[in-house]
Amino acid sequence: MNTAIVETINVTREVAWLPWAVSYFFLIGLSYGAFLLSLPGVVFRRPGWEALSRLALLGALVCGLTAPVALLADLHQPGRFWHFYAYFTPTSWMSWGAFFIPVYLVGLILYAWLAFRPLLAAHGRSDGRLAGLARAIAYGGLESRRALVGAAVVALVGALLVALYTGVEVMVVRARPLWHTPLLPVQFAVTAFAGAVGLTLLFNRFGPARHDAVLIGRMSRVLAVSQLAALLVGVLWLVLGVSGLAPVHAEALAEVAHSPGWQLTAVWAAGATVLTLLLSWWRPGSGLLVGLLALHSAWMMRWTIFIGGQEVPKTGAGFYSYSLPLGPEGLMGIVGTAGLWVFILVLLTTVLPLERLASARPAGV
Amino acid sequence: MKSERNEYEAREASEAGRRGTPPGPPDCNVSRRNFLRGVPVLTAAAAVPAMAQTPATARHWAMLVDVRRCIGCQSCTMSCIQENVVPEGSFRTVVSTYSVEVTDARQPAGTYVLPRLCNHCDNPPCVPVCPVGATFKRADGIVLVDADRCVGCAYCVQACPYDARFINHDTNKADKCTFCAHRLEAGLLPACVETCVGGARIFGDLNDAQGELRQRLDAARGELKVLKPEQGTAPQVFYIGLDERFTGKVEGQGSLWKPRARHA
Amino acid sequence: MKVQRRDLLAAGGLAAFAAGFSQTFGRMVDAFSGDAAQGHNLYGAALAPEFRVDPDSGELKLNPDQQVSYTGCLGCTTLCGVRVRIDKTTGKVIRVAGNPFSPLSTEPHLPMKASVKESFIALSRFQDKGLAGRSTTCGRGNAALAQIDSPFRVLTPLKRVGPRNSGQWAPISFEQLVKEVVEGGDLFGEGHVDGLRALRDLDTPIDPDNPGFGPKVNQVGHIVSVNDGRDLLGRRFWQQAYGTQNYVGHGSYCGGSWRSGSGALFGDHRAMPHAKPDLAHAEFVLFIGTAPGNAGNPFKRTGQLLAEGRADKRLEYVVVDPLLTNADNRAAPEQGRWVPIRPGSDGALVMGMMRWLFEHDRVNTAYLANPSLQVAEAQGEPSFTNASWLVIVEAGHPREGRCLRGSDLGLPLPDGAERYGDDDPYLVMGPDGAPLPVPQARTAAPLEVDAVLTLAGGRSVRVRTGFELLRESALSQSLEAYSADCGIAVEIIAGLADEFSSHGRRACAVAHGGMMSGSGFYNAFSVATLNALIGNLNWKGGFVMNGGGFPSVAPGPRYDLVNFPGKIKPRGTPLGRNIPYERTAEFQRKREAGQAYPADDQWFPGAPGLGTEFFASTFSGYPYSLKALILWMANPVYGIPGLQERFGQDLADPKKLPLIISIDPLINESNAYADYIVPDSLMYESWGWATAWNGVPTRMLTARWPVIEPRQAKTAEGQPISMETFVFALARAMDLPGFGPEGLADAEGNRLPLERPEDWYLRAGANAAFAGEPVGDASDEDIALSGVERIRPQLEAVLKPEEWRKVALLYTRGGRYQPAAQAQEAERPEWQTNRFSKPLWVWSEHVGGARNALTGQRYSGCATWQAPAFCDGTPMRAVHGEAEWPLLAMSFKSALQNSYSIATPITGLHPENPLIVHPDDAAARGLKSGDAAWLATPGGRVKCTVLVHQGVMRGVVAVEHGFGHRELGARAHRIGERQQPDRPHLAAGFNINDIGLTDPTRGGRSIWVDAVSGAAVRNGLPAQLERA
Ligand SMILES: Nc1nc2c(c(=O)[nH]1)N[C@H]1C(S)=C(S)[C@@H](COP(=O)(O)OP(=O)(O)OC[C@H]3O[C@@H](n4cnc5c(=O)[nH]c(N)nc54)[C@H](O)[C@@H]3O)O[C@H]1N2
Ligand SMILES: Nc1nc2c(c(=O)[nH]1)N[C@H]1C(S)=C(S)[C@@H](COP(=O)(O)OP(=O)(O)OC[C@H]3O[C@@H](n4cnc5c(=O)[nH]c(N)nc54)[C@H](O)[C@@H]3O)O[C@H]1N2
Ligand code: SF4
Ligand code: SF4
Ligand code: SF4
Ligand code: SF4
Ligand code: SF4
Ligand SMILES: [Mo]
Repeated sequence: MNTAIVETINVTREVAWLPWAVSYFFLIGLSYGAFLLSLPGVVFRRPGWEALSRLALLGALVCGLTAPVALLADLHQPGRFWHFYAYFTPTSWMSWGAFFIPVYLVGLILYAWLAFRPLLAAHGRSDGRLAGLARAIAYGGLESRRALVGAAVVALVGALLVALYTGVEVMVVRARPLWHTPLLPVQFAVTAFAGAVGLTLLFNRFGPARHDAVLIGRMSRVLAVSQLAALLVGVLWLVLGVSGLAPVHAEALAEVAHSPGWQLTAVWAAGATVLTLLLSWWRPGSGLLVGLLALHSAWMMRWTIFIGGQEVPKTGAGFYSYSLPLGPEGLMGIVGTAGLWVFILVLLTTVLPLERLASARPAGV
Repeated sequence: MKSERNEYEAREASEAGRRGTPPGPPDCNVSRRNFLRGVPVLTAAAAVPAMAQTPATARHWAMLVDVRRCIGCQSCTMSCIQENVVPEGSFRTVVSTYSVEVTDARQPAGTYVLPRLCNHCDNPPCVPVCPVGATFKRADGIVLVDADRCVGCAYCVQACPYDARFINHDTNKADKCTFCAHRLEAGLLPACVETCVGGARIFGDLNDAQGELRQRLDAARGELKVLKPEQGTAPQVFYIGLDERFTGKVEGQGSLWKPRARHA
Repeated sequence: MKVQRRDLLAAGGLAAFAAGFSQTFGRMVDAFSGDAAQGHNLYGAALAPEFRVDPDSGELKLNPDQQVSYTGCLGCTTLCGVRVRIDKTTGKVIRVAGNPFSPLSTEPHLPMKASVKESFIALSRFQDKGLAGRSTTCGRGNAALAQIDSPFRVLTPLKRVGPRNSGQWAPISFEQLVKEVVEGGDLFGEGHVDGLRALRDLDTPIDPDNPGFGPKVNQVGHIVSVNDGRDLLGRRFWQQAYGTQNYVGHGSYCGGSWRSGSGALFGDHRAMPHAKPDLAHAEFVLFIGTAPGNAGNPFKRTGQLLAEGRADKRLEYVVVDPLLTNADNRAAPEQGRWVPIRPGSDGALVMGMMRWLFEHDRVNTAYLANPSLQVAEAQGEPSFTNASWLVIVEAGHPREGRCLRGSDLGLPLPDGAERYGDDDPYLVMGPDGAPLPVPQARTAAPLEVDAVLTLAGGRSVRVRTGFELLRESALSQSLEAYSADCGIAVEIIAGLADEFSSHGRRACAVAHGGMMSGSGFYNAFSVATLNALIGNLNWKGGFVMNGGGFPSVAPGPRYDLVNFPGKIKPRGTPLGRNIPYERTAEFQRKREAGQAYPADDQWFPGAPGLGTEFFASTFSGYPYSLKALILWMANPVYGIPGLQERFGQDLADPKKLPLIISIDPLINESNAYADYIVPDSLMYESWGWATAWNGVPTRMLTARWPVIEPRQAKTAEGQPISMETFVFALARAMDLPGFGPEGLADAEGNRLPLERPEDWYLRAGANAAFAGEPVGDASDEDIALSGVERIRPQLEAVLKPEEWRKVALLYTRGGRYQPAAQAQEAERPEWQTNRFSKPLWVWSEHVGGARNALTGQRYSGCATWQAPAFCDGTPMRAVHGEAEWPLLAMSFKSALQNSYSIATPITGLHPENPLIVHPDDAAARGLKSGDAAWLATPGGRVKCTVLVHQGVMRGVVAVEHGFGHRELGARAHRIGERQQPDRPHLAAGFNINDIGLTDPTRGGRSIWVDAVSGAAVRNGLPAQLERA
């Protein structure tokens, strides 16, 4: 036991970015990831991708609508969200983010609406629940390719900006070596995408294509690739850190290397990713399982970066120990976000029954 | 809630100035080093054009902490809490206390105490990140938070390399040391300074060459250090007797007990 | 089916969302409805400044909403002068800082002639005055104000409900309280209890067989903490009006051993004078068992002077302590040094140093050779010792160990003089080889004398000098052996001796709490004697006396607060047995029976009143038992090692001790056993005239006065219930002398009332204000600025026209203070003004002539090294060997807490106390920081959390004092219908006193105390440590 320097009196800084933030980064990541997944099927009409892409789009929508609410809650002054727009501050990535999010969401919603209009119309014609509502939203239900592409482009630009700012906003925090590495945004993006694939697999589990081995296999491959990418980035991070080639990485590593808790999480995260990779490659059939694993890795990564990162004192010795409070600042918050997510999902899948959504037939027909 | 116009002006001014300055170690670092060599120069805040318009604040507040004089009594810590009504479990200042193994055989270990507070950096990383411009460096060098504007996003809390900021649980806004600006304005000293038992905290105007602070700083030239100099934050809290092992994150065993906040 | 599940899902989701975001919604609403006032947009809730000072002109502007008053702190026994800031609208104390007039808070302090206005400006930024004249409170002093409105305060008289210590109370009226405690009766349905009236029997002896015990009134005992400036009123009542002998302070469990050891050197076992280093001018100070800046009294002044001395590189100091504390500071490594020592072994270190000094001719023999002050001063020395006086060393001679007197040689006594009285001269060896009476000595006397003289009776006896006896004692053991005993290397012992004797008179050695061990008395006597060997007493920069106060409770000049008709001089054996056994009837009986020793239990000739022994005495009935115990401001159960374990049961048993009354603002571990609790005022609410305990070379007196409205309930006459109103009421009920309508007299002898606190304190103030050169008058501005307006009506009503403004001046300045410059004499600037003029007893005949009552063994009359032992001299280790108890546990004061600050904000910063363990000892037990462990001694075991670092001597475990409370908020009491709040965290940590030892050589009748001083033993307890 090292007793060279023993701190006898000091204070703690509580985490200031709460689990709310983790939820936000998790959901917004899933959203833009899923959005990207939706492009091949919905925009490029690649055969065999329709169902998946529509499921992905559903995911992008559900997560995209939930995420900002979590973000709002992470503000200790949620009622003042409008200050972001009243006092634009170009030096702050967060300030920019406040403008990127709407761009993305508006694009996404428009894009989704255009993509789903035919389906909505179809449901409107049925006697299913909320058929009336569906009919209303469908608003005629005819599809216009051009508008769709246009909306997709707006959403794409928004998605990239969101991906960029969510990564860089954290990366620029030099005060936290663990965050302050150029690889961080990449890691966020890759894991977000992998998570999105996982989410789509999850949705698919409840759709008509739940036994479509080809489809699941395809997804699994995509997942495997993304996991591989995640691993490579991780390895690169480690190499840079250990070798000391890149000081920022060395610092980042140094910050956490000594913490047993961290070593465990690191091994865990790596393990989970490897497992997902292997399963999705060798057992493409195990769709749901790998899906969940991927989601779990995406969450874990963000949890350890944000909460774990804030457990590292910037000046004091040792670590601040965080224990998840049960109230809104902690567990209740996470559950609440999930609740909202579920609610929106149920709502959407009622006007847009999964059966239709995930049927391999192209939209409208 | 009152709020002073001239401070807003100063704020706008210093912000304007800041937006101009590119990231990376700004020139005020250089000037600070010069200052330590005794060459009288303007500080970063003073470099802001608006300064000229508000000569009333042509001051640059700063603190000198003479660690040799600190007895770790935490009078500063407690008086700050009383004076600024800091919620239980939160602190604007504290004196970190350590038992340090001594290798030079004279004695097995020694006590090291380190008063910490906001450094009122001349290049404060906490400021540019604020998404609503609620936190700013005033022309007199003090880094403040405008509670009327703060949205409590805690970005500044993350960006401060010194753990000097926190979210105040009573106000749900960013909180930190203000150098007791409310007392300075009344011609008084910061609470932690006026009641410093060991006389370790010396406070004053960097630009007042005759002032106690400058006299002491000049006398100690060469011995002076700041925390985390490599961050290029240009801290305005200077230390005599700052041990290298304590300028950054301390490598050692953390304290067993952390202050308890009764909220949550 | 499916549909329903969806609905449930949706509903569930929505519900979870609502719950999870409730807070968010709430905050949003706040935001729009404009949330609760959050103060200034930049300064937040910060307090409005108490006043404004224009930094350029120095002009002062007041804040009409706030009051700033100078009074006294009681956050610890230092009793600093502080300035209290009060919000006039709420009447709450909002912040406390230092009083710039008080040397306990400021160095250098402002002169009295500075106006209150000037004193405010002196604290401001104007010309950086506030930095130079910084006046402070410590961390505790800042936090202490929380006690005023603490939910744990006792505000009305309480009477216990159910058995003692059951935490249930009934609030009762003041009248009922007084009636019941005075008249007694079947107060608790447990049978008859004698009231104070019945117990006040001034004639009937307690025990006809032992008339020496005195009258039954002595069966009422009183324990008070420290003299907080009110003690003399307490003594006036309990001793001089009520009549009991047994009124003691906390000395015996504070630093009793140091005080006794010092008392031996200074030759006074009642007042036990002690000196302190002149930190403002010293070059080298050796702190042995006192931790400057970590604790110590005066805490702040010592800390500040230490900090200044080391920063200015003027002062070098060494702290000899088993534990590393805040006394060390690595930022100034070349100025200070920590030398770890084994607890209880300081005598070995110090006698080793003495050996080195003797062997290297570093003892100032020229100084020691001066036999009297007259000769000394002629030699330019401001003090002298009895080192050259002749001591009878003839074995078996009845006066063995005593100094030779003129009457022993048959020299004629001056008429009227009694044998061995003050005028029976001591002797030195004269130039002609014949003994010479000290008063006749004109030059230095020989130090090395070993002669045989023929006494009056014709019997010839061997005599030697104290110097020789001390040297013999020092040389009795080799440096190596001393080193082995204290665990300090030979070269360090030599180095310390060398350094100590290399600074002329500007060096000093001092001790305190570290002496509270099983060898405490001789360790302390040795440390004190070290100073005599370099002759530093009364020298600037040396070993200096406290400046003392200004006489307030005095026989004049304005009022006689001391004498009154019917004043009682208490008589009889003190309950603490602090007199020579040889003076008791038991001794006579046993000697006649042919076997004088052992006595039934220990006696302590070398001690003042012993609170430590109260409990053993009363519960074993030796010498006699108490019928009633009064606890005022005292918490012996928490503060005395082993007390609760050994006597808790007894205290809880009304048959063993029928009546316990406490006067205290809080419920602590001791008065939790009380039958009645009388509320008392807390520091800023109370009156008092407090002097510096020590360490201030100039005279000073702190004025404490109610700067806020006391929170306690009021009496029928509208007086806040307090110690004062309680004793006034008792005096009225029992019609006691010295109180009531004619209780007092002015200097002219006109009778005056003593019925309200002001009658006492304001007149005491008048004495102080008129002492020597009377002080000036307070101006209306002073009175307005300092909040003294509050008490102006009383001042004008109680005092005479020519007096009240002078007394007001003291209140506006928070006391009276001698100018700092007068610490040294103008004409001899190297001499202190206030000097100790009696001899230093290098050989104490008082101790050297006494015997251990349990063995009949003689005590050594000079400094000597004896390993920690129990009362009959049996070494502690002979009973509790290292095999079973490998560690030594010791206690030290928290740098932040005191023994009753637990329920204040300071606890938020430092919530719990660890057991500090050396890495090697931890490794041997598989312990690491943060682990839970059991710390066990023969007195019991406690659960603790270990903190492992190098800052403690190997083989020693250290306990920070001030935690492990059972009361003061740790337990929620029920008071009538009201339940105190539950604050379990206030019980955090542990208290070493819960595992203090009992003394096996006293049949376990008592806790372990030092054989000579009777002081509690809290350092060097044999211990084991194991994982929990
Ligand atoms: N912070 C703070 N200050 C205080 C107080 C407080 O409660 N807290 N209380 C006040 C009171 S009442 C008093 S009496 C004074 C006491 O002031 P001090 O006497 O200075 O303090 P203590 O902690 O009692 O003892 C001093 C040191 O003795 C050491 N020690 C223990 N055993 C031994 C030993 O065998 N040999 C040696 N050489 N050292 C040993 C302890 O580690 C401790 O550091 O402090 C006063 N000031
Ligand atoms: N293990 C260990 N034991 C120790 C010590 C140690 O260092 N270690 N220190 C020892 C020392 S140095 C001392 S002096 C003793 C102290 O022990 P004591 O003097 O007996 O008691 P304290 O705990 O100082 O305080 C006594 C009570 O005074 C009450 N009180 C506080 N303020 C006021 C007031 O304004 N008015 C009145 N009426 N009451 C008030 C509080 O209820 C408090 O419990 O403890 C000794 N015990
Ligand atoms: S110390 Fe932190 S909070 Fe203070 S100015 Fe520097 S960066 Fe900002
Ligand atoms: S917490 Fe307030 S001050 Fe800090 S960055 Fe956010 S808005 Fe700005
Ligand atoms: S200057 Fe004021 S706010 Fe800053 S630490 Fe000191 S007391 Fe606290
Ligand atoms: S008040 Fe001064 S001496 Fe005391 S801890 Fe703070 S800085 Fe150190
Ligand atoms: S040293 Fe003691 S008396 Fe002085 S301010 Fe601190 S607590 Fe109060
Ligand atoms: Mo004490």
